Amino acid sequence: MRDSRVATGDKRSYFDIKWLFIIGIVAFLVVFEVFPMVYMFIKSFFPEKSFSLASYKKTYGYELNRISLRNTLVSAFGTMILGTLIAFPLAWLVGRTNLYCRKFFRGLCVMTYMVPPYVGAMAWSRLLNPNVGIVNVFIRRLFHLSMKTGPFDIYTIPGMIWVLTSFYYPYAFITISRAMEKMDPSLEEASRISGASSWTTLRTITLPMMTPSIIAGALLVFVSAASAYGIPSIIGANAKVKIPTVTTRIIDYVGLGVDGLSDAMSLAVFLMLLANLVLYISTFVVGKRKYITVSGKSTRPNTVDLGRFRVLFTVLMFVFAFIMIVLPFVTVGLTSVTKNLGKSVLEEGNFTTMHWSKIFTRKDVILSVKNSLLYAVISASFGIVVSVVMANLLERTTIKGRRIPDFLITVGSGTPSVVIALGLIMTMRGQFGLNLYNTLWIMIIAYLIKYLMMGMRTVVSAMSQIHVSLEECSRISGAGWFRTTMKITVPLIAPSIAAGWFLIFIPTFYELSMSTLLYSKDTQVIGYKLHYYWTYTSQQQASAIAFGILLFIVILNSILNKLTKGEFSI
Amino acid sequence: MKKILSVMLVLCISSVLLFAGGTSEKAAVAEETAEIVPDKTVTGNIMIYTSIYEDIVTMMDDALAEKFPNCNIEFFQGGTGNIQTKVAGEMATGKLGCDMMLVAEPAYSLELDEEGFLHKYLSPNRTNLRFDYDKDGAWYPVRVCNMVLAYNPEMYKPSDLATSYKDFAADSALKGYISMGNPLTSGTTMAAAAALSEKYGFGYFDQLGKQQVMVESGSTALAKLETGECKELMILEESVLKKREEEGSSISVIYPDDGVILIPSTVMTVEGAKSANNNIASCEKVTDWLLSEEGQRFIVKGWMHSVLKGWNSGDKIPYDSISTDDLIKKDMGLDWVRCYKQRTEIREAFEKSVSLSK
Amino acid sequence: MSVITIDHVTKAFGSSVVLHDFTETFGEGEFITLLGPSGCGKTTMLRIIAGFEKPTKGRVLIDEKVVSSQTVFVPPEKRDIGMVFQSYAVWPHMTVRENVAYPLEIKKVDKGTARKKVDQVLATVHLSQYADRIPSQLSGGQQQRVALARALVAEPKLLLLDEPLSNLDAKLRESMRFEIKEIQNQLAVSVVYVTHDQTEAMAMSDRIVVINNGTVQQVGAPSAIYNDPANPFVADFVGKIDFLSGLAEEGRIKLDDSLQSIPYDGSLRCPVIVGIRPEWISYAETGNLKGTVKSHYYLGDVNDCRIDIGGGKELRVITNPFESGDVSKGKKVSLAIRKSLVYKKESFGSDFLTIKT
Repeated sequence: MRDSRVATGDKRSYFDIKWLFIIGIVAFLVVFEVFPMVYMFIKSFFPEKSFSLASYKKTYGYELNRISLRNTLVSAFGTMILGTLIAFPLAWLVGRTNLYCRKFFRGLCVMTYMVPPYVGAMAWSRLLNPNVGIVNVFIRRLFHLSMKTGPFDIYTIPGMIWVLTSFYYPYAFITISRAMEKMDPSLEEASRISGASSWTTLRTITLPMMTPSIIAGALLVFVSAASAYGIPSIIGANAKVKIPTVTTRIIDYVGLGVDGLSDAMSLAVFLMLLANLVLYISTFVVGKRKYITVSGKSTRPNTVDLGRFRVLFTVLMFVFAFIMIVLPFVTVGLTSVTKNLGKSVLEEGNFTTMHWSKIFTRKDVILSVKNSLLYAVISASFGIVVSVVMANLLERTTIKGRRIPDFLITVGSGTPSVVIALGLIMTMRGQFGLNLYNTLWIMIIAYLIKYLMMGMRTVVSAMSQIHVSLEECSRISGAGWFRTTMKITVPLIAPSIAAGWFLIFIPTFYELSMSTLLYSKDTQVIGYKLHYYWTYTSQQQASAIAFGILLFIVILNSILNKLTKGEFSI
Repeated sequence: MKKILSVMLVLCISSVLLFAGGTSEKAAVAEETAEIVPDKTVTGNIMIYTSIYEDIVTMMDDALAEKFPNCNIEFFQGGTGNIQTKVAGEMATGKLGCDMMLVAEPAYSLELDEEGFLHKYLSPNRTNLRFDYDKDGAWYPVRVCNMVLAYNPEMYKPSDLATSYKDFAADSALKGYISMGNPLTSGTTMAAAAALSEKYGFGYFDQLGKQQVMVESGSTALAKLETGECKELMILEESVLKKREEEGSSISVIYPDDGVILIPSTVMTVEGAKSANNNIASCEKVTDWLLSEEGQRFIVKGWMHSVLKGWNSGDKIPYDSISTDDLIKKDMGLDWVRCYKQRTEIREAFEKSVSLSK
Repeated sequence: MSVITIDHVTKAFGSSVVLHDFTETFGEGEFITLLGPSGCGKTTMLRIIAGFEKPTKGRVLIDEKVVSSQTVFVPPEKRDIGMVFQSYAVWPHMTVRENVAYPLEIKKVDKGTARKKVDQVLATVHLSQYADRIPSQLSGGQQQRVALARALVAEPKLLLLDEPLSNLDAKLRESMRFEIKEIQNQLAVSVVYVTHDQTEAMAMSDRIVVINNGTVQQVGAPSAIYNDPANPFVADFVGKIDFLSGLAEEGRIKLDDSLQSIPYDGSLRCPVIVGIRPEWISYAETGNLKGTVKSHYYLGDVNDCRIDIGGGKELRVITNPFESGDVSKGKKVSLAIRKSLVYKKESFGSDFLTIKT
């Protein structure tokens, strides 16, 4: 397969506008991502103007912090394993077999990506808390068990891993699905014709060839889980033995004010290094493209006939979907219309719309929705432009070092939100010339750094499937780089652009941790509001907000789906 | 492609417009402000950081707008922890983003005073106060929060539960069924932790740890009380009263035998040069108003006890509560200086006991 | 060597029908080529035989046993077929030896025997010295041969090839054609070969199945396809040809437009389409048609000329330079038509030349 890159070594007498974009992106990343992180890194070693490991000694000498380190690593690792074990078969079933209702499941599988993780944690704590968890009570009644607590306890490390997995496995799912689509189907057909059954083919051909993508997906899950805050803060705080994680410790320290900043930084640096290391491995070492080739003509993936297992697997998928998605979502929905949480919503007088009417008429909620929409639209739009430029850079040029912005963007997504926000607070208050504090721009910048990656990967993946000759033809006809991109490339990958836009829009819309640290009176967003209501006001009202967010995203998703005639898929 | 973009754009705009109209809660305030006499001499801008409940802030905001029509007063509302973080960041640069603060407990005021961030003003209304205030006028108590115990009579009988803080931590029947706030993020919980460790020593925290106490926000805890996941909470009285009034909830307060923890939350004015708008004159007027009968009405409306002498019953105390006199009699009392000076020790002891004990 | 019977196979994807009622039997040891333009359905038919697609209607039998029907389906791995894919489909994570040994591994052949067979087949495709390389180290042609070896190692009775040479350069294509044919003879396998290249089809096949738009146009030996095409499409698809319209009469066909005539000994008396291949025309002193040389290409081994015969019509004449003599632009020549194909015009409509997909 011909290498689809164009040599750009020759000098030109024209100024290629492409360079403007590339330099702009690199500058953005350096100023807002690299600089704050480096600053924090250095500052943590120089707490009082002189080099000292004192703050590290203090931070890591404290037993609670060491425990949080262990918890973070254990839970992230567990999530990675469980998440990948779920994602791979799912991606295979949905992408390569004749499972019933494939499209439906595909959409469903990425649904948890669209939901704020802390909402999931809220739902699961209602379902599986050991004392009166809805599922626990149901099981106890079903089997006439006499125990007062359990059988399941969500407030444990396995419980936390479960909730983390249900929210972060889509990262692996999306990565693996994409790679599966790109894989040449005749490689599997050749195995079948050689006498191997579908199962053997899966084992000896598909799996080994997918290994780089599987590992990449797994590492992504690992980093996301390690950087999570919302879920550990809800689950960990209620455990019999508290489960602090590095992220919750950082927030605790930041909450202490000036005293805690140095501890916060020492912990943040750990997370940063961990994320960087893992992502480095993922991007450079494992990201070899050799294994995945797209044959010239037929990219139609052949479907494996599940035969007599077809119904069985479909049923299993429904069960899975029910547990993963329906259960938590419905719980949130029901909570939002329940008056007294101690009684069933079906009980007389316990159903109410007062929570909904309350939040829809509150000025601050409406303002935060407006803000969230605005910021998310700006972030996603800006982000998609960056993604297109980056895709161009990666897939169409051979410039040395083009992987560096790609790496930085990936690292940004793996860095804990808290750390990003912290870094921005410490460097963007005017000490170094730029003062973005209390503006919406500091929030948009934070969102971009964190969420650019998924959008970019989507566009890059789509671009790699377009043969370069389509663009070369446009150039030969006289169109410059910009024109070619707008008139040829963009229309061709439009559905992926829409998908990428959406992938940035969603998490930005409901973002919590960074918004909590960076917000000002006028720049409150819905994620912050949700957290505030849940913490200080009422679970039911918070659930109403959460469910509202959910509905909005689901509706938006289906509209986009209809528009792109089903081509749009995350 | 264009179709996609244009539809998305239309979606965004229309959803924004849809929400554009929102009703404010002027109705509720109307009756309250009927007797307000406007003071048109107060001008300029004032930014107030506060951790008071959003609804109450809205009411106060509207009332202040009526009282001081020529002054642009804005509130920044957030949890104590959030506000403290924000201020911490701002302190590092030497200039705060606010002019006044209605947040946390006296220990925090002591801290800020020591750092030299507070403006000293002797308000004429200070003589009406029944609680301590800073002799130089750096801070005044503006509302009384009190930490009590709460339970759900529909789920459990009070006779099965603890009636004192001592039992709260000691009664093994409550193990795994109790909850309290986080001293790291909640100023009032920090105060409570200080008071309890003062009275019973750090061993109290160990006991809490053995009780497997859950550490979370008031709202989450109240929900657990409702569902029965928790039997008893350590929580602010105002949270319970709010729920009773707004939702008709039957969740009730137990005023512990070994003392209620009274936390007179303060109002502070930031030193002019270090403040956002350097509008000291107006801030002083606002302080006066907050300590006046007019202002205190909102405090009581907000389910908190007033700091004024003689406010003991009827509409001078929060909905469904006991008289402030009685409350003061039950006060456990705590040393605010110790709370401030030994903050780190108390915090670490709590963390260690509650988080690490098995 | 297998006998394949395709019994009234129809295949539709949704509402689009890609194969219409395909019925044919391929005999033992036959080299059958499915020939046609892109999208005509030939690859689909191959995949149905392989078992990667199921027929919407009809059945497929291999050696009298039903492998695909409305009720029966034997999966590909159980059909004992060897297949070479257009993209080679050589597994990049295995060495050449591992690739080729794979089918034997699946069949659980013992290691010793397997090794022998692999060595044997690698020798047959001349890849013995590359046995331990990985595919990324091999050229396209070498990878193709690995695919071939892998398809043959389990000694299948049927070999399917899906445009295997289309990704190779011209010279390599020629030599591979030869090699494949040699191997077929050596190993006595039945072959079904798919291509759009008529030269390949002509050179390698025992019989050719010409397909267009999902419908079989003609089945026959290369000489039959070439010399006796069943319709203008086949005539046009295989070999070069010019079409003229005219009226068939006793003894002659009066050509429209050019108003000249050519001899005719058939029985049609109606408007017809006449097809004349370039090599069926020669220059004569007194021929059937008169014309002027419009353009002329000397290609070394042949003279390729276009002769204007009047009325806007041209005929292409390809002759040995010795025979044509000196043919320069503008020269008046006389053409003798040695052979022509005649079709009833009404059967094919006026746009017979646009039958192509």
